[in-house]
Amino acid sequence: MVKVKSYKLSFIALILLLIVFFFVNISLGSVSIPIKEILNSLLGASTNESWQYIIQDYRLPKAITAILVGSGLGISGLLMQTLFKNPLAGPFVLGITSGASLGVAVVIMGSSLFGGVLASFLISEWSIVIAASLGSFLVLLSVLIVSSKVRDTMAILIIGLMFGSITSAVVSVLSYFSSAEELQQYIFWGFGSLGDLQWKELKVFSIIYIIGILFSILSIKGLNTLLLGENYAKSLGLNIKQSRLIIIFATSLLAGTITAFAGPIAFIGLAVPHLTRQIFNTSNHKILLPAVFLFGAILMLICDSIAQLPNTDYTLPINAITSLIGAPVVVWLLVRKRKMVF
Amino acid sequence: MKYKILILSLFIVVFSCKKDTGITRELPPINTKKSNIAYAEGFKVTKNSNFSVLEISNPWPDSEQTFKYVIINKIEAAKTTFMRDEYDGIIVIPVEKIVVTSTTHIPALELLNVENTLVGFPGSDYISSEKTRQRIDKGLVRELGKNEGINTEVLLELNPDVVVGFGIDGKSKSLNTIKKANIPVIYNGDWIEKSPLAKAEWIKFFGLLFEKEQQADSIFNHIEKNYLEAKKLASKATSKPTVLSGAMHKDVWYLPNGESPEAQFLKDANTNYLWSDTSGKGSLSLSFETVFEKAKNADLWLSPSYYTSMEALEKANSHYTKFDAFKNKNIFSFSATTGETGGVLYYEIGVARPDLVLKDIIKICHPELLEDYETFFFKPLE
Repeated sequence: MVKVKSYKLSFIALILLLIVFFFVNISLGSVSIPIKEILNSLLGASTNESWQYIIQDYRLPKAITAILVGSGLGISGLLMQTLFKNPLAGPFVLGITSGASLGVAVVIMGSSLFGGVLASFLISEWSIVIAASLGSFLVLLSVLIVSSKVRDTMAILIIGLMFGSITSAVVSVLSYFSSAEELQQYIFWGFGSLGDLQWKELKVFSIIYIIGILFSILSIKGLNTLLLGENYAKSLGLNIKQSRLIIIFATSLLAGTITAFAGPIAFIGLAVPHLTRQIFNTSNHKILLPAVFLFGAILMLICDSIAQLPNTDYTLPINAITSLIGAPVVVWLLVRKRKMVF
Repeated sequence: MKYKILILSLFIVVFSCKKDTGITRELPPINTKKSNIAYAEGFKVTKNSNFSVLEISNPWPDSEQTFKYVIINKIEAAKTTFMRDEYDGIIVIPVEKIVVTSTTHIPALELLNVENTLVGFPGSDYISSEKTRQRIDKGLVRELGKNEGINTEVLLELNPDVVVGFGIDGKSKSLNTIKKANIPVIYNGDWIEKSPLAKAEWIKFFGLLFEKEQQADSIFNHIEKNYLEAKKLASKATSKPTVLSGAMHKDVWYLPNGESPEAQFLKDANTNYLWSDTSGKGSLSLSFETVFEKAKNADLWLSPSYYTSMEALEKANSHYTKFDAFKNKNIFSFSATTGETGGVLYYEIGVARPDLVLKDIIKICHPELLEDYETFFFKPLE
């Protein structure tokens, strides 16, 4: 009973932190805007037209994207780590991100290669998103099919890495044959960015994101049972195949769309679950899942605020910041607690 | 080990040459004379009595190396021996078979009427210049692969007199292999030059290779004259429109810095480029907010990256539609002006003809000054 209470307090604190950092994120940027004007802009009552546009149509969607990306990647990392019973797992390690990259590469660089009917489909507005999700789903599925033949979890990890190598090889062949402009487009996609989404895209992103989150909530029970080992889970009456499929579906939906919309964002997926486990000291997914959600969102908001280099004209690529800020935190936590909670 | 053998064999060559009576050693440089190069900083030509020394000092950003080449006439070459170690290459002129690697080199060849010496090019689809295009279609110019990865085997088979390459950092493996095969490679640094006229002056570099220095000089003088006249004309304009440039990749806006040749054009065209007071290397990468606040009301928007239509621009990012230049359809780009096989003309001919680029910009910004002129590269976005 006592334990539950302490979690409640932590959750309230985390939610407050999330709100604070959300506002911090909105109020910081290259253009310095006074606090009063920021509030006015949010309410649509600012006298400065360009400030209002910057707040409402640039910073607000960016902050929401940061929340979705951080929480989504954290959750998909958590699902992967539990499913594969491997603390090193994450969307990046298992080739999901490379799968999404392959999808995007085919769309951006393949249109000149394939031509015809396919080309007209490839140019449509949502093709990048569809291709990225499809790519990550296919890679994860093949990793899973192969992994059902082997029992060793390390082997599964290596298989995931191999699939990652295959996809990056295909990407390099594609890039060799594509024009400079296409190559440029692909490379910029690879830097990752949160500020590229407008409301229209954000709507579609949120819908797919919510579906992904719903599936991960559905899989909580399965995840907790899986922790006990597959045989034990079977004896408890869990339909392993079905839970596996749900977990994979949720992960590829989350990681795939996030990679599609925001580019391959490094590190968050691997680090946030560890961060959460170290602080909450539990492996119950009923607690972990919402905690990972909050931690991921907060971490991403902080990283984005730093990447914007407030009050300078320049911005840094978000990918650099996530690792720079996140990695030392995880190392510090592991050293302090002297052991890993997994 | 390889080097030792090389040095040893060089010694043998040098000493054995000494015994021959008909062949003279390299003469001490008497009557050295510097060539008249007014704008370009990347190359220097020193004339000696029977040969010239070409120095390329800045072939890529931050390079500390200077490359020295001996440029010598065929007849003189038969009589002279050089310490090969002292130079990065010995080029016998006039060059009869050449391989160039950038489309910016093609107009220089055509202006000098030596396009028939071009035997190979990497990515020949990018070439649009008519005369060379015809030769490519006839199969007289071999395709050497894509981008920087030159197909070494094909190149070795072609065995050109010289390869004019360009290096991003001097670490191109294929160019090093070619050098080892005794095909001289000259790095061309025209793309590093800071001003449009300096870039165009590199035609003198090609003039030297083909023994057409006078012709190259007069072509450049003509272009320079046109450019300076256009600049003078622009200075008479009464208005000074504000100009925005570049576009976003994801959420970062890339635009030329105030010291770049692009900014120089805008300055010479008597416009107010909003970032003309910036400096640095490469393009500025700014956040959307900064650009939006500063350039929302800009009169004109030039070269929005690779976008070729208003629709494409809007589809890529709806933020673009909030700029006055977008609302008033005052966006001009060179990306839609392409050759037969899709190469963008500006990238190919723009370097050799800065006078045309400047006139284009003047026509856009001050149409009253050039009423009869029709823009060559820049077209309004539809």
